[in-house]
Amino acid sequence: MNEIKSLEHATLKVPYEVFNKKYRNTQRVFDVEARQVVAAVGDLDNAVKSGSTAGEINNLLGGMVEKLTTMKRKASDAIAEEVQAAFVCKKRLEHLKEQAEAIAEPNSPQNKTAMTQWRKVRLDRMIVDYFLRNGYYDSASKMADSRNLRDLTNADIYAAGAEVERELWARRTARCLQWCADNRSKLRKLNSTMEFNTRIQEFIELVRGDLRLDAVKYAKKHFSTYDDGQLEDIQHCMGMLAFPKDTEVEPYAGLLRASRWQQLVSQFRWEHARLLHPARLPALPVTLQLGLAALNTPQCYKESTKVSGCPACQPPLNSLASTLPHAHCSHSRLVCRISNKPLNEHNHPMVLPNGQVYGEKALKEMMKEQGSIVCPKTKEVFCMKRVEKVYVM
Amino acid sequence: MDSCLGVEQDLDKATTKFTGIHDHTNKILQDLITQVENIKQEIAKQPENEQLSEDQALLVSELAATLKQTVFQMSTEHRELHATVSRVGKSIDRHFIVDYAAVAPKAESFCSETNRPIMEQAIAQHLYRQGLEDVGDVFVDEAHIPPVERTCTFAQLQRCAAALSDGDPAPALQWAEKRVQELAHSPLPFTLHRMQALKLAREQGVVSAIEYVRKEFPAYASRHERQLQAAVCALAWCTPGAPTPPANYAHLLDPKALGAEAAELFIRESCAVLRLAALSPLAGAVIAGARVLPALHDIRAKMSHPNVIAAWADDELPLEVELGEDGGGYHSVFACPILRQQASELNPPMRLLCGHVISRDALNKLAMGVKLKCPYCPMEQSPGEARQIYFS
Repeated sequence: MNEIKSLEHATLKVPYEVFNKKYRNTQRVFDVEARQVVAAVGDLDNAVKSGSTAGEINNLLGGMVEKLTTMKRKASDAIAEEVQAAFVCKKRLEHLKEQAEAIAEPNSPQNKTAMTQWRKVRLDRMIVDYFLRNGYYDSASKMADSRNLRDLTNADIYAAGAEVERELWARRTARCLQWCADNRSKLRKLNSTMEFNTRIQEFIELVRGDLRLDAVKYAKKHFSTYDDGQLEDIQHCMGMLAFPKDTEVEPYAGLLRASRWQQLVSQFRWEHARLLHPARLPALPVTLQLGLAALNTPQCYKESTKVSGCPACQPPLNSLASTLPHAHCSHSRLVCRISNKPLNEHNHPMVLPNGQVYGEKALKEMMKEQGSIVCPKTKEVFCMKRVEKVYVM
Repeated sequence: MDSCLGVEQDLDKATTKFTGIHDHTNKILQDLITQVENIKQEIAKQPENEQLSEDQALLVSELAATLKQTVFQMSTEHRELHATVSRVGKSIDRHFIVDYAAVAPKAESFCSETNRPIMEQAIAQHLYRQGLEDVGDVFVDEAHIPPVERTCTFAQLQRCAAALSDGDPAPALQWAEKRVQELAHSPLPFTLHRMQALKLAREQGVVSAIEYVRKEFPAYASRHERQLQAAVCALAWCTPGAPTPPANYAHLLDPKALGAEAAELFIRESCAVLRLAALSPLAGAVIAGARVLPALHDIRAKMSHPNVIAAWADDELPLEVELGEDGGGYHSVFACPILRQQASELNPPMRLLCGHVISRDALNKLAMGVKLKCPYCPMEQSPGEARQIYFS
């Protein structure tokens, strides 16, 4: 198991979903165009059988050429899009492979640099992904541009979703309904209420505009076929017809509140991500949580023992880490508090007479520079002779 | 690597098939169009008002039959690709972990109303530290989070490092010149000068590079003798039209790799000089998290017994993960070698007279009255002679 296998599923799966969608689109193009051609063939057949004149047949054949040319153009475009989508997958795969090669041989210095670079890019990708999934579209796009990550992130894939969201903020539902229609079969499989909720919103807007008769017509058209569990909502809607639009009676007042639009936006954002991502959470909070748990020590919460470099010690992450368990640790892992270097056989841990432990190298350096040892913690002064080794198994 | 290769195989298969069908449909449709046009020309010879001759009628009906069959066949051919497409999806699912969040039950709470702003502050802090002020500004604005410290030392360092990655050592050299004293023991100045020399050789010719080398290199001759030799030797392959360099020098002559390496060294050394952590808190935590994740997935895969699964409800990390040199080690953690358990304030580390360290609880358990034999060496002593020590 490695970092790629456990963390990069979505990196490939999202462009795959796009690829799959393009495939379905192309199939539709093929079916529609084929039906058109077949219809034209039928006409031609009939004309021949009924003994039409050569001029008519000639015209029909001309139409046929046109239909075939359209089919050729459309099919060619659609397949080109499919291939394009497959290449996006391929590109990301290449990026993952870069790291996979480095992981296989982690100790050569070139690979080390490559891995650090790659991890930096991974964090950038995670941040873009987090932005997209939380609706920070401008930030995401800006970040993707400044780090040149358009191909490796979903910034472009989310562009259509961002557009729908903007429309919803502006209280327009057409794009959202269009999106629901485009993804109907998948949404149905996930038992989504997106379309239903949007329709209800349209109904509410008709009531708000005091177009109650239109509202009834709208309800007849769209609410007559409903799924399980939706009946109550429909009843609330119809009940609303009996109240003025500034009513304070619940649930009708609630339906008319502006916050319902906001809910619609959040629902859309959630459903949109659900179609693309199998995992519910973006990778950033997941790795952040695990990382903080792994770095979390009891020392992170006392002013006197905090370390400036430790992510769990400093605000703002400190308050997040405080809710997490401490890292499990059955082997000592010592760090010199002066040099931040690990303590081991090359840099022996040494104890001062006051019980404080530091690294041998740092103490020797201090001795050379200052002629004595000043404990950084208690400011007591010692000479090198009184410093003793400690052995930690 | 295996997982990547597995997906790649299926993906390549799909791409080949789609490219194939692209050419194939284009060709078949073009053929059909030519056929129809030929027959059309044939019929155009017939006067407009007359009926078709029997032969012509037969020709048209045959054409109609072929057309119908071919377009249906094309549609079917494309439909049959469905298996190839869905195989790619299944392959991705099989080779990568779908539900990576399952091992981080607490991650959900990071997205709650109270915690999300905190996390987003950390993101903004990270962005500013990376020198991405413009992105940070947009983000702070869009996410409505309280502004975080915007300008910091890191941004300047990051910009120097970014310039290095792009192959320009000038800003980093400037920074290093101001801190000659502090960098006396660091390999950074030499690395930067070497990069500058090789850059000069590429851009202005070897002569100016040698001039630069004469001026700057002698100061580092004793400390970096071998590297210095290699760098000067590498100049030999910087002339236009030089043959491909031997493998030992390829690295020095690849500006991109050299730049990336110098950038990394620069961040490490400059942060050490300024006594700062090289990684932002977010980056540090995420790197550690990415290390933990595979290990957790591993044991999750192994533990499928219901009783064992219950252990996951407990909110402690169920295992210890080696975080590597850049992934952890911010604090000293002393785990008692006898009790195999972390020391705490109530059970602090004690140094025995012989220098070995165990926890106080272990000490009390091992003491026989006024006598204690060190578990690691033959020395006998009194438990009262042990002293508490402090690792943090």
